[in-house]
Amino acid sequence: MRGSINRPPTPDAEDDQIQEKQLTFQEIIDIKLIESGEKERLKELLRERLIECGWRDEMKALCRAFAQKKGRDNVTLDDLVQLLTPKGRASVPDSVKAELLQRIRSFLASAAI
Amino acid sequence: MSNEDNLSPHAQGLSLQLSSHFFGDLLDSIIVDVASECHRIARLGLDRNLEEEEEEMRLSAQARLRVADPSNSSEANGKYIVDIFGQNHPSVASEIFECMNCGRSVMAGKFAPHLEKCMGKGRKARLKVTRSSTAAQNRNSRGSPASAYSPYSNSTSSNRLSNGTSSVAGEEYSNGAFEDP
Repeated sequence: MRGSINRPPTPDAEDDQIQEKQLTFQEIIDIKLIESGEKERLKELLRERLIECGWRDEMKALCRAFAQKKGRDNVTLDDLVQLLTPKGRASVPDSVKAELLQRIRSFLASAAI
Repeated sequence: MSNEDNLSPHAQGLSLQLSSHFFGDLLDSIIVDVASECHRIARLGLDRNLEEEEEEMRLSAQARLRVADPSNSSEANGKYIVDIFGQNHPSVASEIFECMNCGRSVMAGKFAPHLEKCMGKGRKARLKVTRSSTAAQNRNSRGSPASAYSPYSNSTSSNRLSNGTSSVAGEEYSNGAFEDP
């Protein structure tokens, strides 16, 4: 889904202007999310829900177990991200995911149309 | 979901796809945050306390099981009462320290009766010779039929206080009705 929005070149293209790249629809939505502050709010909401349901504690326990096995000083950030990404994505409760998806879709409906 | 009713199926599908994408974005961001925090904790050794705490919790859970077990000693055994750490304590506290009032060495388990005598709350303590006028009043009410407070009475009894200490300057405690403290 690329290039569905094309801006015509501005008349003063030969001046000292930054060449604008074509933004995907997705990127435009992302910008709107960020500029409206909704992205931050959504992240806080998700963070809160994940704490409440114990997901964060689970993740922290996984990291501690990994660090004990591998040795504290041998642990890299990348190790932990690699460790948490599959397990983290898989263990989000359905209700939390549903709530967030709903909010995002509401935003899309109000912002994109 | 009423605000999506006007969308074509294509747009609705788009909406689902996009929202999933953004949800994944948010989740990845939070995963990195947690990983980052855990990385810091691991490298700085900040969870060492946590290990100790967990060990403590394990021990106390074990101890609690031991206490709940009816085959362990109960109060019926008298002296040998076991607490949740499996320790038993003597019925009289045996630690020795200094009384902050009189400076004597005192056993903890006997401190309360000692203080009673030492600080004058008990019966016998009031009969001790002290500097306070309370002692003088008590003395006078028992021994002298004359006025309630006669600091200058001249009786022939020996004066027990020879060091001249008194709360009122120049007083002589000369009542012979003293008892030993």
